Amino acid sequence: MDRNQISKWLKAPAKMAHKYSLHAVYFCTGCGIIEIPPVITARWDAERFGVIPVATPRQGNLFMITGYVSVKTLKAIIRTYEQMPDPKYTVGFGSCPINGGMYWDSYNTAKHVDKYIPIDGWIAGCMPRPEAVFIGVTHLWTLIDKGMANGYARYRKNYAQYRRNQEMLFGELGWPPLYPIEDGAPGGDE
Amino acid sequence: MSGALKKGIEATFRDARVETPGDGRVTVFVPAESVPAVVHYLKERGFDHLTMVSCVDRPDDGELEVVYILSSYTNDPRLHVIVKARVPREGGGLGTVIGVFPNAEPYEREIHELFGANFEGHGRLIPLFLEREYAIPPFRKDFDSRKYVEETFDSIPAVQDE
Repeated sequence: MDRNQISKWLKAPAKMAHKYSLHAVYFCTGCGIIEIPPVITARWDAERFGVIPVATPRQGNLFMITGYVSVKTLKAIIRTYEQMPDPKYTVGFGSCPINGGMYWDSYNTAKHVDKYIPIDGWIAGCMPRPEAVFIGVTHLWTLIDKGMANGYARYRKNYAQYRRNQEMLFGELGWPPLYPIEDGAPGGDE
Repeated sequence: MSGALKKGIEATFRDARVETPGDGRVTVFVPAESVPAVVHYLKERGFDHLTMVSCVDRPDDGELEVVYILSSYTNDPRLHVIVKARVPREGGGLGTVIGVFPNAEPYEREIHELFGANFEGHGRLIPLFLEREYAIPPFRKDFDSRKYVEETFDSIPAVQDE
């Protein structure tokens, strides 16, 4: 253990534990997944940073959306995100989840993923190099330290708005709300 | 091979027109109703692999051009037969070739979904990729992609964090 961090460990042990055990769900949409095998295997070895892929979303706390998000995929992304236990951190990887990227005028690609689920950080690029993943991870550590990686809390707080956006895109969603939506909340009953 | 094939097709199907550009392609233009028969005939002649089914929108003629590409594992593998049939854009349909090549099933579903062509006899013309209803099938040339994006995706507001 880094001795400089002992005071941090004593002050906020939970935060430090979250920082160094990022169990990643790689949501393999689009071309971004091609950068993930070198990241998690011997060449760049994400485990040095405490990032390790997990088998199911119910075991993970880092959600990476790697590539363009088609409308059908977005439905699966929302369901995957809702299955993950709190605290969970979401990272959009590549240009396409940010604003559509090269699919900005496509008929079937959701352009801004942060309209439907909360995103804690973005890794821009088309494609980002594996090094960018580690820069992203270290930025995420800073955000967790400062309490700014609070996407899961924002999802709970503004769930009415997220649910409204999801229903605007899909119509009927086919599963009940994750959190109760109060009457009169913004976007609750419209 | 391509010369004999041309003669054979033209003798069997009076309304078929065959072009042999000489670069390994044999292009067969047929009316929509004889597509299953032509494809069946080609399979009998050794073209045992349906490589793909595709579609081209021809808005100037008001027609959709459905393209079947066949190749062979037993004949000369460099020879490809391209069967083209035209159907009207609105209300047009052509017979399915699933009875001859079962792997045409997803292709025909895809063309039905993205171009709006109708395949008679296809038992399962349900959406393959798309989650939404489109007023105009999205691969047609008069589908305004940018307008659709503005109306559908850009109109969804960003989430305001109070």
